[in-house]
Amino acid sequence: MQTSQLDFWLHPSNPALPVDIRVPFPSLQAVKVFLESHHIEYSILLEDLQVIVEEEKQEMVNNQRRERGTSNFNYGAYHPLESIYAALDDLAAEYPSLVSKQKIGESYEKRPMYILKFSTGGTNRPAIWFDAGIHSREWVTQATALWTAKKIASEYGNNPSVTSLLNRMDIFLLVVTNPDGYAFTHTNNRMWRKTRSKNSGSLCIGVDPNRNWDAGFGGPGASTNPCSESYHGPSANSEVEVKNVVNFIKSHGKIKAFLTLHSYSQLLLFPFGYKCTNPADYKELEAVGKAAASALASLHGTTYKVGTICSTIYQASGGSIDWSYDYGIKYSFAFELRDTGRYGFLLPASQIIPTAEETWLGLLKIMEHVRDNQ
Amino acid sequence: MQRRSAARLGPLLLLFLLPLAWGEGPEPPRAAGELQVSNRLAGQAARVALHYLNYRLGSPSALRALGQVRKATVKTIPEIGHKYYLQFTTEDYKSSQNVGTCLATVFYLKRKPRPAVNINCTYTKDQKQTREDDYSFYKKMRQQTKPITGNDIPDSYGNIEPALEPAWALAVAGSSYLMWEKSTENLGYFMAQVKNVKQWITKDDSIDFDYSVVLHEIPTQEMISCHLRVIWTPGHPLKVKYFCLSENQRSEFGEGSGSESGSTNGIFNEEEANF
Repeated sequence: MQTSQLDFWLHPSNPALPVDIRVPFPSLQAVKVFLESHHIEYSILLEDLQVIVEEEKQEMVNNQRRERGTSNFNYGAYHPLESIYAALDDLAAEYPSLVSKQKIGESYEKRPMYILKFSTGGTNRPAIWFDAGIHSREWVTQATALWTAKKIASEYGNNPSVTSLLNRMDIFLLVVTNPDGYAFTHTNNRMWRKTRSKNSGSLCIGVDPNRNWDAGFGGPGASTNPCSESYHGPSANSEVEVKNVVNFIKSHGKIKAFLTLHSYSQLLLFPFGYKCTNPADYKELEAVGKAAASALASLHGTTYKVGTICSTIYQASGGSIDWSYDYGIKYSFAFELRDTGRYGFLLPASQIIPTAEETWLGLLKIMEHVRDNQ
Repeated sequence: MQRRSAARLGPLLLLFLLPLAWGEGPEPPRAAGELQVSNRLAGQAARVALHYLNYRLGSPSALRALGQVRKATVKTIPEIGHKYYLQFTTEDYKSSQNVGTCLATVFYLKRKPRPAVNINCTYTKDQKQTREDDYSFYKKMRQQTKPITGNDIPDSYGNIEPALEPAWALAVAGSSYLMWEKSTENLGYFMAQVKNVKQWITKDDSIDFDYSVVLHEIPTQEMISCHLRVIWTPGHPLKVKYFCLSENQRSEFGEGSGSESGSTNGIFNEEEANF
């Protein structure tokens, strides 16, 4: 018995008193044989201690989270993926009657894609879709989306506009649309833009997820070269990250607005990008866009240009808001957040909260219009 | 504009004078053939003009960024190219404060590799201060016994170490030369990051840096890696040598010494460089 590494929790002291022993798994058989052959009665208190230890660890973490809550999370900093995912859980835990987390699928490298659902009830209410981080290097977008999630949750019941909005509509928020790319920007290449899917016949990795939507797919403004940053991929929706969003939107059936965040350039864009003609709802979208840009500028003076993708930024096919608009979601807008090129993708963290705060005003304008024009 | 093509452009001289009449007055009459320009192309052209200005001024403390485009028209000159007429506001590169207005022409020529720029600007920042700031950076670098080095400026989180900020600004000035050269009517650039800076200690009056920079190319979204050698004496034209490699392995190189054609009113005269 010398090498069995028995761990006595209650040491032998008196023949009338029991002894408690923790037995390592490799020694289990030998210990049982020994006890039985010596006619020593025993009973099993805990079948598998490791399971209990794990459960306790998780409970401690959960308790810590509930204590810390989202009030200690630093929204004015850039966080790795794991921290963002923890913050999503924290939000759902802190606002359980409003916020829930749902998985809409997995990325190419099998990372979960989580959305937050903001809902005050009802069944399949009309809803607003909001996503960020489709291009992983655009770090201010994931950070802004996370701040916005906290803002929506904390404004319900406090801000009449947000309250009336959520009493009628749901909001779905996807903070990290491209988690593989985002992880890669932390570990390998800060400037990574695309997904991390393998391209057959090429050493180059990844597809531009915002050229992969089924809207003028393969047209001008997207590359056929897998090594290009704007490679559109082998076919529309070939990227699982895009497919997951498309599936969610289609199966929901009542999405009324599709809002997406990019950086940088300070622009508020609406369709089309794949063609340089104006959408049928041009006048309304331009008016809403201008009102939103004006609201945004009112906070810190940050000026945004408003217009169609093609005339304002460049012709680009296979983009998400073109798909959503052609699918029937009239209120389709893309924000290009701060700045205009000084820092570009490397926007200082000190600008996260000012960016999020001003963007919120613009978003709210759009959402109010959607709410009021159902 | 090259002298030898002046003859061909002679009859069009009259039209060139029109933009110079712009000031605070009413909109100039639009000459036949001038078209309104989209936001995108106007911004692109204005940025090209500013790359040229920042390069020619060669002053890390006086770098300018684009504010707002106020007026933009374009004229097609058959067989030669597109000429943009621009009026835009500028901001200080570091502080984002408005620092004046520019009038510029940017001529994208079919048969020349880089756009021809003429630019005149007002400048509201204290020039004495910027010259002092330039000089104190220069002096500090001249006094280095050990060459300064740095990596990832700004870093992933957008931080720039204060001690390395002037070296970063010099990289912007140097990159401006290369971004001007590479810009076309449809391809624009931003300097995304200094991956590496290394000073060369020299025996002459200049300060000397090797840079690895990453440029962000629009609309392709490519990140272009370039090596820059920047040689600078305050008040003198910036000397820049570069070599670029893109993901698709296109390589390009070039050299600038301040003698390229184009014009701006903002150059420090030789006489003024007495510190």
